[in-house]
Amino acid sequence: MGAAVIVGASHAGVQAALSLRQSGWQDEIVLFSAETDHPYHRPPLSKAFLAGEKDAGQILLRSPDLYRDQQIDLRLGEPVEAIDRAGRFVTSKSGRQPYSTLLLATGSRARRLAAPGADLDGVFTLRSLRDSRAIKDALAAAGSVVIVGGGFIGLEVASTSAKLGRKTTVLEALPTLLSRALPPAVGDFLRSYHEGKGVRFRFGAQVAGFEGEGGRLRAVRLADGSTIAADMALVGIGGEADLDLAKDLGLRLSAGGIEVDAHGRTSAEGIYAMGDVAGFQNAFAPASMRLESVQNAVDQAKAAAAHICGGDAGLTAVPWFWTDQYDLKVQMAGIGRPGAVEILRGDPSTGAFTLLQLVDGRLIAAHSVNRAADHMMARRLIAERVPIDVAAAADAATPLAKAVLAEATTSRMATAGP
Amino acid sequence: MSESVTIIFEKRDGERIEVAARTGASVMETAVVNNVAGIEAECGGSCICATCHVYCDHVADGVLDEMSPIEDDMLDLAAAERRPSSRLSCQIRVGPALDRAVFVIPEAQF
Ligand SMILES: Cc1cc2nc3c(=O)[nH]c(=O)nc-3n(C[C@H](O)[C@H](O)[C@H](O)COP(=O)(O)OP(=O)(O)OC[C@H]3O[C@@H](n4cnc5c(N)ncnc54)[C@H](O)[C@@H]3O)c2cc1C
Ligand code: FES
Repeated sequence: MGAAVIVGASHAGVQAALSLRQSGWQDEIVLFSAETDHPYHRPPLSKAFLAGEKDAGQILLRSPDLYRDQQIDLRLGEPVEAIDRAGRFVTSKSGRQPYSTLLLATGSRARRLAAPGADLDGVFTLRSLRDSRAIKDALAAAGSVVIVGGGFIGLEVASTSAKLGRKTTVLEALPTLLSRALPPAVGDFLRSYHEGKGVRFRFGAQVAGFEGEGGRLRAVRLADGSTIAADMALVGIGGEADLDLAKDLGLRLSAGGIEVDAHGRTSAEGIYAMGDVAGFQNAFAPASMRLESVQNAVDQAKAAAAHICGGDAGLTAVPWFWTDQYDLKVQMAGIGRPGAVEILRGDPSTGAFTLLQLVDGRLIAAHSVNRAADHMMARRLIAERVPIDVAAAADAATPLAKAVLAEATTSRMATAGP
Repeated sequence: MSESVTIIFEKRDGERIEVAARTGASVMETAVVNNVAGIEAECGGSCICATCHVYCDHVADGVLDEMSPIEDDMLDLAAAERRPSSRLSCQIRVGPALDRAVFVIPEAQF
């Protein structure tokens, strides 16, 4: 066969390497990482790590010994510089590495703001452990913090900043919070929760530039001419697929990522892609999209590894995602869409509720705040596409498992209910 | 300075492995750092994936942190059978009282 070469050693790349071994891959596995840190969990970078509740040793993805035990040749601090598709080799600082199968797991990176002063000291984006370390130091010294972009990462950093007692302002270009990712009821809940913790919001705010003194950030200037004092600013305006290597390969793209099928196959024979970098028509999504989540990275990597080793299962998992802010566990199952029928389970003013979204009487998405049981059951109900009993689903005291229309109740559902 | 205690993991085949655990870390983190197979921890300790499930039959009463309602909910839907001794190892903090505690790894995490 020949080596399997994996580019990128994060949630997707590491899982692909381990799953290749589990699926019986006998040949070499070379796992290239542009980063020098041992592969780590990315979600804590805006949460427990940033808040100082966990150190770098506590967020490792796997023990460093595991790569050795599994004969995975992990090359830290060794980015792949070029790929020769015809010759089937990649080039890094140690020369040429031939491959029989190539796995692209280069992920995404933080979008930067093209505004004057964005390169001042004190203006950050957050993607890597290195970024998070720098932001953590800056937060410790900052009096006032401005977050540009009210997305998940921005709100997580805002909650850490507010918990530390920093004066925290979130600037959002749109008129409401997270309007692309969440139904308004959930976005509005998060907004008032943050406001209750002292975070200020400016909606419809356009950043015109960053103002500094001696190279250090002092204020953020808005398009309406106003300025907000800031010792630190985090630009959290979303991510974009890292296509630096892929763009010269002539691979077909989709939704801003490398187009893949349910097996992770790209348009080129022998080349797979997975995780944040892949654009994919998930069976539970209305269109092709790039899903930026740990679950998607892990499940796509498993599906690709299985296919490379001769399996044929393909990806069938329901997408899920979470965000932690303060003491809130916000969990999302499925992909929401505008125009779906919405059912509220529970009262947002109690701090625990689930917003269900139905299309054609079937559950397509569930957004839960501090209602983990709803989330876990929703993953199953979305996967099984069973018709939902709307009245039962709207009653927070009835377990969601019981909100399935009687005639559709399969033996599996019956045993799944508490 | 954090001290170290000994934690024991019992694997699916019954074999027991003793590892050094740092106090203040979670039992899940202890398993990962020590390369103990069978603790997946997909969510990295956010109490949201239930792939760090362990059985705590051999742990003395009263030494584990209380279970939160969220952990309780997540355990209901863990891949392996839920038993009275089931816990999510990312929610158990290592302290001196856990010295030589045994955590049993379940059949499946997915
Ligand atoms: C701060 C933060 C918080 C998040 N919180 C959550 C959350 O709560 N829940 C959730 O589900 N998801 C969360 N996410 C998203 C999640 O982390 C990503 O979806 C996930 O990391 C995707 O994994 P990946 O392996 O596809 O890509 P990435 O994690 O982006 O990793 C790609 C890796 O490839 C490397 N690379 C790129 N080019 C090369 C090259 N040429 N050679 C070698 N290496 C290369 C990069 O340096 C990087 O290490 C969060 C992300 C961030 C940044
Ligand atoms: S690591 Fe995910 S629930 Fe424990």
